Amino acid sequence: MAEPVVTSSPGNAGKASNAGKDSNAGVPGKPVLAAGIRQFTFHDGQTPALQDVTVSFAPGSFTAILGASGSGKSTLGRLLAGWLPPGGHGLLAGFLELSGTRLEFDGGPGDPRIDAAQWGRHVGFVPQDPGSVLSTVRATVAEELAFGLENAGTERADMQVAVERTAGLLGLRNQLDQDPARLSGGQLRRLAIGCTIIAGPPVLVMDEPFASLDTAGADDLATLVRDLLKRGTAVVILSQMVDPLLLDADTWVVLSGGTVTACGPPAGMGAGHAEGSNGAGMLPRAIRRPAERNAAAPPKPPPGPQAGPAALQLRGVSFAYPAPQTHGERRRKRWVKAVRTGDSTPGTPVLQDVHLTVQSGEIVAVTGPNGAGKSTLLRHFNGLLKPTAGTVLVSGNDISGAPVGRTAAAVGLLFQQPRDQLFERTVLREVSFGLDRLVGPDMAAERAVAALQAVGLAKAAHGHPAELPASAQRLLALATVLARRPAVLALDEPTVALDGDGLALLDAAVGSAAAEGAAVVLVTHDLGYARTVAHRILTLDGGRLATA
Amino acid sequence: MTASSAGRTAAPARRERLNPLTSLTAAAATAVITTAAGSWPLSLAVVAACLGLSVAGGTARRVLPAGAAVLVPLGLSLLWLHGLFFPEGRTVLAAWGPARITQEGLEFAGQRILQLAAVVLVLLLFSFSVRVPDLVAALSARGVQGRFAFVLASTLTLLPAIAARAQRIRQAQESRGLVVSGSLVSRARAFRLQAVPLVLSLIEDAGTRAAALEARGLSNTGPRTSYREVADSGLQRAARTVLVLAALAAVVLRVAQAGAGG
Repeated sequence: MAEPVVTSSPGNAGKASNAGKDSNAGVPGKPVLAAGIRQFTFHDGQTPALQDVTVSFAPGSFTAILGASGSGKSTLGRLLAGWLPPGGHGLLAGFLELSGTRLEFDGGPGDPRIDAAQWGRHVGFVPQDPGSVLSTVRATVAEELAFGLENAGTERADMQVAVERTAGLLGLRNQLDQDPARLSGGQLRRLAIGCTIIAGPPVLVMDEPFASLDTAGADDLATLVRDLLKRGTAVVILSQMVDPLLLDADTWVVLSGGTVTACGPPAGMGAGHAEGSNGAGMLPRAIRRPAERNAAAPPKPPPGPQAGPAALQLRGVSFAYPAPQTHGERRRKRWVKAVRTGDSTPGTPVLQDVHLTVQSGEIVAVTGPNGAGKSTLLRHFNGLLKPTAGTVLVSGNDISGAPVGRTAAAVGLLFQQPRDQLFERTVLREVSFGLDRLVGPDMAAERAVAALQAVGLAKAAHGHPAELPASAQRLLALATVLARRPAVLALDEPTVALDGDGLALLDAAVGSAAAEGAAVVLVTHDLGYARTVAHRILTLDGGRLATA
Repeated sequence: MTASSAGRTAAPARRERLNPLTSLTAAAATAVITTAAGSWPLSLAVVAACLGLSVAGGTARRVLPAGAAVLVPLGLSLLWLHGLFFPEGRTVLAAWGPARITQEGLEFAGQRILQLAAVVLVLLLFSFSVRVPDLVAALSARGVQGRFAFVLASTLTLLPAIAARAQRIRQAQESRGLVVSGSLVSRARAFRLQAVPLVLSLIEDAGTRAAALEARGLSNTGPRTSYREVADSGLQRAARTVLVLAALAAVVLRVAQAGAGG
């Protein structure tokens, strides 16, 4: 396997582990993709988003670009993939090189223009938000996978083989006939990866591919990456978390503040040391290490028995999405109502006779494979979804008749996708939304500030929510829920998109909410994380809830 | 692919054998012929047929409101214009100064409204009952540019997609204590709150999606293929040819009549 060379520029030579090595010296295969970014600045940005970043990727090489949220990873990934053509959204000073053709940019009008279609044939990119790569005009997962092949004029028989193979690699065989709009978060990520690799690009760049993938999904992804490497694909993974797969990478590039602070083989950076004693200096604290998957860890003591009704109680709850209808009207209607759920074949119950009692101060984690119906379960807590059978009680009251907005006073729900949840002009207004009606204006201001402090966003109070990095957006969404001090806190995949700092803030916030008497139910695909925070772990599989 | 979907039953499968191009041609030809013929019995028959088909096909609940939204204001303005100010009107039913209701004016307005209703309903019926993926596949199989086929398809899928996104945003807001009651003020307020994230997310999405579509070769100029198999038959091809010829004949006849008459 060719050793990839990723060098920092001379400006950073002192910090880089392979400093002094010339960017191309001693490389057996020529790099298939390379970039030398002296500076990249967005049109509306004051400071460069990237500075002094030099990377190159040889065929069959495996590179991990590690950085916290806001470090410039996604910008680098999109530049490499041709998704952020220089000149369009920002100015690049430096070069991009693809298959031996070097394009020089100096930010002037004479800069070359990138042909996104040609570039895309060589460099496949899976962005952080997997939903945004879908064509939206294809009715099934199989057709969505085939979309790129259709555009390339591939014969139908070949397409069918490729679709089957790709679906098999990503564990999507059972979803091939499903509407992509109805996939769960984890399934959607698998589909986005499939859409990119099906055409076999020589370079594959993936931005946070592990987010929302369950253990099986992460294992599938690891197998897939090894398979691609064997076939000579250069794989680049951008991540804010050191997933076990990344320990196999040839090179780690550490990004911080838009520049390379360290790079070299993982071993040289303290990888493999759980405590990270040697490499602690190389990796910023904000880069997450894999959760300590210590099954023997003693569970936290549950809170003592409580007087009065449980904070949350589900009695025999069953739920099924309406059976599919094929005519245009009904199909569309169903789509409108669709909440991303699981791989329930249409009409199959998603939840079956679920019983759950959560006391004040108790933290319960619900785990389960992608598409098990975890998000569907949470949506029953405040009445967004009505059970087809059974009742939901919040603090002893049946919520079936109450509007969602009223139940929300007692149940705070954090969604998977923060973007749907944020709608105000400033961070402070966002957190204050609806608070004055709940607790009065004086108390509202105090609560809003306290909630922002709890998630480390006090300084960003007057910024625009949409301009925050992904991790901070997720924390802001969490703050909006915390500020209401609900009796029941329901968190849907709270760890997704959080970097290490964010995760620490989340842990503290959840812990203190529980200490103050909130009943916390968190849904996560990450069993390791569940073990570190929860008093009890339940598994949702096949529509039934069981003790893990 | 038509047969592989597990959820599909036999009855719709029969319906799906109609190639979307055939229904498109039928809808367009009907619209052209009705307009060219300008005969109210024909218009009435087309309107009745559309209503019958939309009820049978289960699309009536979408076709009717959409049809009403287009036809009621247009119909009223036609009535106003021709009913009150029809210069050729002889049989005066009532008069206020320059405005006079004439029988001829009312008849003319009625005819126009029927004609318009026929065209609008037949096109709505088509767009609400066509399976968009089939239409796109059928078009690309005939060498229609990928970009054009995509624009057409996204026009037809845009509204449901936006509605789905708006629904998700509303759910998130309700979960934060927004109570949407039936009152108009409450709805307007809720709409204002949803519009901002909706537009922002659509714009943001559009940017990423455009890059993704380019990278997946949407604007390739070479030949393209289709994964989805769309049923077609010699009979349907013949029917399409006949429909196109009939529409052309109707137009020619109309022009000739107008030439002879005027």
